[in-house]
Amino acid sequence: MAGDNAVAALVAEAVGGSRSALARLISTAERGGDDAAALEAALLPCGGNSYSIGITGAPGAGKSTLASALTTELQAGGERVALLAVDPSSPLTRGAILGDRVRLQPHLGNPDVFIRSMASRGHLGGLAMATCTARRVLEACGWPLVLIETVGVGQAELDVAGATDTVLVVLNPGWGDEMQANKAGLMEIADIFVINKADRAGLEATRRDLEAAIAANAPERRPAIVETVATEGTGLDALRAAIAAHREQAKASGELERRRRVRAVTELRDLARARLELALEGQLAGPAGEALAGAVTRRELDIDSAARRLVADLLNSDSQRGASRGDPEQDTP
Amino acid sequence: MNDKNSAGKTWTSASGIPLKPFYGEDDVPAQHRERLAAGPGEPPFHRGAYPTGYRTKPWRIFQLSGFGKPEDENARIKFLLEQGETGFIMEHDRNTGDHCYNVDHPEVVARREDVGLTGAVMQSVRDIDICMKDLPIETSYAHAGGAVVQHAPFALAGYWTVAKRRGVALDRLPGTGQSDYFLTYLGCVTKQQVPTDVGLRFNADIMEFCDRYLPRWVPVSIAGYNAADTGLNAYQELGALFANAVEYLDEIQRRGTMPIERAARGCGGVSFRMSMDLFEEASKLRAARLMWQQLLAERYAITDAKVANLRIHCVTAGSRMTYQQPLNNIVRGTVMALAGVLGGVQSLGVSGYDEALSIPSEHAHQMSVRIQQILQEETNVTAVTDPLGGSWYVEALTAELVEKAWGFFEEIQAQGGFLASLDSGWLHEKAAENQHREFMAQETGEQVIVGVTAHSDDASPYEVDGFMGVDDAFDVALERLEEVRRTRHEAGAADALRQLERVCRSSDNIMPAMMDALEAEVTLGEIGDVWRDVFGDWATPIQT
Amino acid sequence: MSGKRILMAKTGLDGHWRGPTIVARALRDAGFEVIMIGMARPEEVVQASIDEDVDLVGLNIGGHVDVAVRAVTALNDERPDLPIFCGGVVPPHAKRRLEALGVEVYPPGSQLPDIVGAARRLTGLD
Repeated sequence: MAGDNAVAALVAEAVGGSRSALARLISTAERGGDDAAALEAALLPCGGNSYSIGITGAPGAGKSTLASALTTELQAGGERVALLAVDPSSPLTRGAILGDRVRLQPHLGNPDVFIRSMASRGHLGGLAMATCTARRVLEACGWPLVLIETVGVGQAELDVAGATDTVLVVLNPGWGDEMQANKAGLMEIADIFVINKADRAGLEATRRDLEAAIAANAPERRPAIVETVATEGTGLDALRAAIAAHREQAKASGELERRRRVRAVTELRDLARARLELALEGQLAGPAGEALAGAVTRRELDIDSAARRLVADLLNSDSQRGASRGDPEQDTP
Repeated sequence: MNDKNSAGKTWTSASGIPLKPFYGEDDVPAQHRERLAAGPGEPPFHRGAYPTGYRTKPWRIFQLSGFGKPEDENARIKFLLEQGETGFIMEHDRNTGDHCYNVDHPEVVARREDVGLTGAVMQSVRDIDICMKDLPIETSYAHAGGAVVQHAPFALAGYWTVAKRRGVALDRLPGTGQSDYFLTYLGCVTKQQVPTDVGLRFNADIMEFCDRYLPRWVPVSIAGYNAADTGLNAYQELGALFANAVEYLDEIQRRGTMPIERAARGCGGVSFRMSMDLFEEASKLRAARLMWQQLLAERYAITDAKVANLRIHCVTAGSRMTYQQPLNNIVRGTVMALAGVLGGVQSLGVSGYDEALSIPSEHAHQMSVRIQQILQEETNVTAVTDPLGGSWYVEALTAELVEKAWGFFEEIQAQGGFLASLDSGWLHEKAAENQHREFMAQETGEQVIVGVTAHSDDASPYEVDGFMGVDDAFDVALERLEEVRRTRHEAGAADALRQLERVCRSSDNIMPAMMDALEAEVTLGEIGDVWRDVFGDWATPIQT
Repeated sequence: MSGKRILMAKTGLDGHWRGPTIVARALRDAGFEVIMIGMARPEEVVQASIDEDVDLVGLNIGGHVDVAVRAVTALNDERPDLPIFCGGVVPPHAKRRLEALGVEVYPPGSQLPDIVGAARRLTGLD
C-alpha cells in the first residue's frame, strides 16, 4: 500500500501530464483496496470532463478492429482517444492473455492514443468499479474521449460497456447465437447498433430484424443502425456521425444527465454493497461472529435472531477500517 | 494385445493414433483392402503418382535458399546447382516481401539489419533480373518466390517479366509460386496483409492467368508444411490442406472461367512437412494421394487419371531442428527425408542443421543436398516404388489417417470453411492445443528430444554460431530503390499503377495489370500500398 | 493471484508465433496477465510498457541481434527498473550480447517451467 499521500502525489504527476503516473494510477484502481479509495478522493477536486463510449458485442464480432478503426476516425478529427480494453481473467488461475492490442497495432506509439488492457480479475463489487475509476483517472488527466471495450456475453461485461454515455453494440450479419440469446439485454443498452462485417451475406435480414425489434421502443429510444467493414475502414464516418448525433441529442434532451445520475446510483450501490459485505465478513470472522455462530450451533439462539443481531452490531459499529473495496484476499482483515 | 507395455507407456503415433505391438492382415479395414491391388500411378494413387517411381525420375532436390542482395542469392543458387540441386527456389526477403513494403518503409527501416536475412531484397523487376542472372530458367523447375498470398502476384509477375525480356516464351516456363495461406495467416502472421477473401481472389486470378499463358506452371501450391510446423498434426495437416484446396476449386467453379479439371491440375502440386515419426509421415503422403483422388472424384466428378495424381514436395521439419547439439540435426534431416522418399515424393528439401540458429550457412546447405544424394545414389531406395506397400502396419496407418483427415476436413467445413477457420482463429486454437500438448509431453519425458530433454551432456561441444548473411543488403536495396525511382519512365509507371488500382476495384483478373506494372518498373511497396488502400487489412485473430 | 503483468512483443517482422503463443499460455496458466502487442518497434515497446504499467517485458526476437539490442537499450534507458527476458532464434553470439545488457535469454529448446520460473523471479513473486 502506497498510502494516501503517495497516491495524491501520483495524481498530481498524472494530471501534470505524466503518462507513466497515469498508467500507475490505473494499476492502483485495478488493485483496489485502500489506495483505490484514496485515489477516488484525490481525483475529486481534479475536474475534467470526458465523454465515454462503450463497445460491446459477441466474441468474433470485430469489436477490437472496430475500436481501432473508430480510434483512427476520431483521431482524424483531431481528438485524443483513450481506450480501455477489458478481457476476462481465467476464473481458475486469475491469469489472462490480453490480445486486443494485436488489433490496435496502428495506434502503437501514438502519443495521442492511450490504450490500456484490463483483465476482469474477479473484483469484489464488480469489474465495473475498476473501469469506472480508470475512466475517472483518464478524465482527470484530460483525455476527452474514453472508449471502453468489453465482450458482451456475461452480465458483468455488459454492465461495464453499458455504463457509458454512448453504447455501441456490435454484431454481424446473421447475429450469432450468443447475441440472439442476449437480444433483450442488448436492446436495453444499445444506443447504436453497428453491423460490422457488413460485406457478408445476411446483412439485409439482420437489418430488418433489428428494425423490427427497435420499432417496439419509444421513438426517442430507437437506436441508430450503422453498417461498417472495420477491416477496410468502411462506414466509420457514418459511425462517427451517429455517435455525435446521439451525443447531441442525449445532451439536449437531458438524457445524458439522467443517465449519469443513474450510473452514480449504480456505482454507489455497488460500492456500498462491497463495503457492507467486507464489513460483514470482518464481523463474522471476529469474536462477535464466533459467539453468534456458537450460540446457533448450540441451539441457544435461532438463526434469524442471530442474523438480525449481527446486522444491528454491524450498523452500530464504526469499525469500518479495512472495509475498503477491492481484492478480498488483500483486504480480509 | 494392447498398446501398453508393462511400464504402462502408451504407444501412439505422433498424431495420437494408438499403435499395436504388431499388425496383421485384419488390421487393414475391409474398405481399404480393395485398393491394395492397385499399382503405383493408378487410382487411387496411394502407391505413387507415377508407375515407374524414382527409376525414371528421381525426386527433385529443391532447397529453400536466399539472403542478402539479389546477387548474393544468385551466387548461392548457383552454388547449390553446382552441388547437384535439380531445381531452385528464389526466396524473397520476408520483411519487405511478406508485407509488400519497400525498404524505406518505416517498419523496415526500424529493422534495417534484418533486411536480407530471410531472402534477397527484390523491390522491382531489376532486382529480380539480377537474382535470375544466368539461371537455367527454361530447363529447371523454379520456385519464383511469393510464398505468401499477398506477395505472390508481385513475385510471379516479376519472374515472368524477366523471362519475357530474355525472350523465353511464357508457355515454355516450368515452375511454381506458392501463394500459401498457412505461412502468414497461421504460422508467422504478418503485421499487415490482405483479408483472406482477397487472397482467394488473387489465387484464382493466378490460376486463370496460368491456364491461359503458362500451361507448365503450377499456379498455387498449398503448403501443408507451414500448417504442420505451426502445430497441426499429420491428419489435421491433410484435412486442412484439402479444405484449402476446395476453396480454390469452388471459387473457380463459381467463376466458370476455366475447366475444373485444369483447375484441379493447377492446385494438385502441394507440399507437406516431414517430421520424425517415420512411418506415420510416409503413410501421410500415401493418404494424401488417396484423398485427392477421392475428393476430385466425389466432389467434382473428375476421374481423369492424369489430373487426379497429386504431386508432392516435402520439406523436413524446421521445428524439429535443435539449437543444442546442432550436428544431431544432420541425422534428423536424413530420417525425415527418408520418410518422404518412402512415401513417394516428387521433390524434397532438407532443412539446414543450423535451422534453429539462423538461415542455412553454405555448409549446412551443402549437407542438405548431400543427404539427398546419399539417399538417391548409395542406398538403393530408388529401385522399387512404394516399398512400404502391403505392410499391414503402413496400410492400416494410411487408412486411419485418411479417415481422421476427412473428419478434420468436415470440422473445418462446419466452421464455415477453410478461410472462415482462419478468420475466426479456430485453426490457430487447434495448432496451439497441439503445441501445448507437445510441450507437456516433453516436460513429463513422454517425448524425448535427444540433446535437449535427454542425453544433453555434450562431451565435445561443437558450437554453431549461425550464418548472418551479408551486411550491406539494406543499404544497397535503398540505393537501388532510389535509382529505379530516378531512372524509370515515371509517367508509364504511374499509369500502370493507376490501372492496377482500377482493376483491383473491379472484378477483373489482376494479373495482366500486374504484368504491366512490373514491366513499367512499379515497385513492391507501391503495389503494397494499392493492396492496403483498396483491400484494407486482415483482422488477426486474437488468442485468449 | 499474482496480478503481475507481462508485456510480450516481437521485435522483428518475420517472426514465428509458435514460441510466443506457447509461452503466453504457460504464463497465463501461472496466473500472469499477459499483454500481447505483436510486432513493435523499440519506441512502441517502450510506450506500451509504460501505458500498460507492466512488471516484465518478454521479447520474441529473431533475425539480427542489433534489432533486439535497440529495443532492449530503449527499454533500459526509459525504464531502467523493468526486467526483460527474451526468446526466439538467438545464436550464441547474440545471446552473449543480450546477456551483457542484463537480459535473460531463453533459446529454442528451453523448457516452460524454466521460463515461468524466470517470470516469477523477475516479477518478484519468488
